[in-house]
Amino acid sequence: MKKWIVVLFTAVFMLMMFAPAAFAESAPPDNFKIGSFTQVNEASHTATFVPSDTNEPATVKLDEAIKAEDVKLDDKAMVSFSDSNGSETVTEITVMFLGLTRDKLIALLIVGLVGGLLSGFIGSGGAFVLTPAMMSLGAPGAVAVASNMCHKFPKAMVGSYKRFRYGQVDVKLGLVVAGSAIAGVQVGFQIQKWILNTWGSAGSDLYVSFVFVIILVVVGGIIFKDAVTTAKGKTEVKTPKLAARLQKIKIPPMIHFKKADVVISAWVTMPVGFATGLLAATIAVGGFVGVPGMIYMIGATAMVASATELLVAFVMGMWGSIQWALAGLVDIRLVLIILAASLFGVQLGALGTTYVRDHTIKLVMGTVMLIVAVSRGVKVPVYLAHLNIISLDKNLANLLDSISFWALIAALLVAGGIISAAMVKGIVRSRIEEKEAAVAGRA
Amino acid sequence: MSKTAKKKPYLQTLALGGLSLASYYFLFTHVNQVMEYFVKGGIYAALPIATALYFSIVHGSFASNVLSILGLQAAKGTGH
Repeated sequence: MKKWIVVLFTAVFMLMMFAPAAFAESAPPDNFKIGSFTQVNEASHTATFVPSDTNEPATVKLDEAIKAEDVKLDDKAMVSFSDSNGSETVTEITVMFLGLTRDKLIALLIVGLVGGLLSGFIGSGGAFVLTPAMMSLGAPGAVAVASNMCHKFPKAMVGSYKRFRYGQVDVKLGLVVAGSAIAGVQVGFQIQKWILNTWGSAGSDLYVSFVFVIILVVVGGIIFKDAVTTAKGKTEVKTPKLAARLQKIKIPPMIHFKKADVVISAWVTMPVGFATGLLAATIAVGGFVGVPGMIYMIGATAMVASATELLVAFVMGMWGSIQWALAGLVDIRLVLIILAASLFGVQLGALGTTYVRDHTIKLVMGTVMLIVAVSRGVKVPVYLAHLNIISLDKNLANLLDSISFWALIAALLVAGGIISAAMVKGIVRSRIEEKEAAVAGRA
Repeated sequence: MSKTAKKKPYLQTLALGGLSLASYYFLFTHVNQVMEYFVKGGIYAALPIATALYFSIVHGSFASNVLSILGLQAAKGTGH
C-alpha cells in the first residue's frame, strides 16, 4: 500500500511538471502587467507606469478609450497592453485590490464559513459561490479566481486530513483521479480556448452555461433521486448497477482501492478523473462530476467519494494556485479572510459526516447541484442576447442576473441548513445513546 | 461531568489562537509591503502559497481545538 502511494504521488507530481498549463478553472491571462501609475500627462495622453516585477518606471501611451481620470495613481492595477502603433499602448486598466469595508469583510466570512461547511461535507462546493461573491464585491475576475483557488487548496488539505483521520479517504483513489484530472484540465482548457477564439466571450459563456446546466441537472437529478430512494429504505444500496458492471471489466492494470473496497480497471478510473479535470477547466467545479463518478462508476460510497474528492481538490488546487501566484494575481487578504472562517466550516462539515449516513451526503449534493443549475440556467437568455440570437429587455437581463446570484446564495443556505440539521440530530442521538449505555452499564 | 470525559485543550487553544491572531494582525498591519511583494510573481509566488499553508496549519489547528472545546467532535467509533 505505502509503496503504491509513493509511486502515485511521484507520478502525479511528474505529470504536473510536464503539464505547465494544467490548472483548474482556465488559465491566468498573459497579456497584462501588474504595477502602479505614478503620473499622468493629459496633453500627450501618456502615463508613467511602474511594473511590480522590475520597479523600473516607463512612459506608456494610453489608448483613446482610456480617459486620464480613469488612471488611479498609486493603486496596484492589472494593465493590459497592445502592440498596436508599433509601441506598447495601455488598452485596459483594472484596479486589482478592492477596498475592504466592514460589510465586505462580514460577507466574505459568512460565505467562507458556509462554503467550507459544504466542502467538508460533500468534498466540493464553495468555489461556485466564492468566485462570483468576490467579483460582486469588486474584485476583478482573474483576482477572484486566483484568490479562490489559493484559499481552496489549504482548506481542502485541512478537510482531507480530518476525513483521513475519520478513516474515510482512499489516498490511492484520490491520487489516481487527480493524476487523470490533470490531463482532463489540459484538454478542457484547449476546448475553452478554441471556443473563446471562435465565438468570443459571450459564446464561451453560453458554452460553459450549457455544459453546466446539462451536467448539473442530469447528475444532480440522479443523485437527488438516489438520495430520496435510499433514505426511504432501511439499508444503503450496496454498489450502483453501473459500477457493478464496470467492476466486471477485467482489463489490466486492475487497481485495488482498499478504503473504497473496490477492485477496478484503471481504464475505468481514468475517465472519471479525466472528466473531473475537463469539468474543472470548463465550469470550475470538478467535484460535481468527480464525486458522482467515484460513486456511480467506481463504486465507492458517498462517504469515501466525498472525502477522497477533498484530496483531489488539494492536489489540483495546489497546482492551480502555483500557476496563478506565478502570474501575481492572488489577493492574499481575501484568501486569509475567507480561510479564517472556512477552516472552521470545513472541519465542522468533515465531522458532520461522521453523524450521518450516505444518503444525507447525496441529498446535500443533489440539492446544491440542482439549485446551482437554476442559477446558471437563468443566465442563458442573457448570453443568447449578447450573441444577438434573441433580444432581451435590459431590466429583464438585470433581473435574471440577480436571480442567478441569489440562487447561489440560496444553494449555500439550503445546504448549510440540511447539514446543520442532520448534524444536530446525529449529535443529539449519539449523546442519548451514550447516556443510555452509561445507565445500562451502572445497572 | 463524567470522569471519563477527555480533558479539553484550553491551553493549546489559547496558544494557537494567540499565534493565529498575532499572524493576522502582523499581516494586516503590514498589508502594503505584503501586497507589494506577493504580486511580483515569479519566485515571489512562493510567498502567497507558503502564507496560505502556514495559516491553514496554525489557524486550522486553532479551529480544530475550538470545535473540541465546544464539544463538537466526530461520532464515537470513527477513526481516531
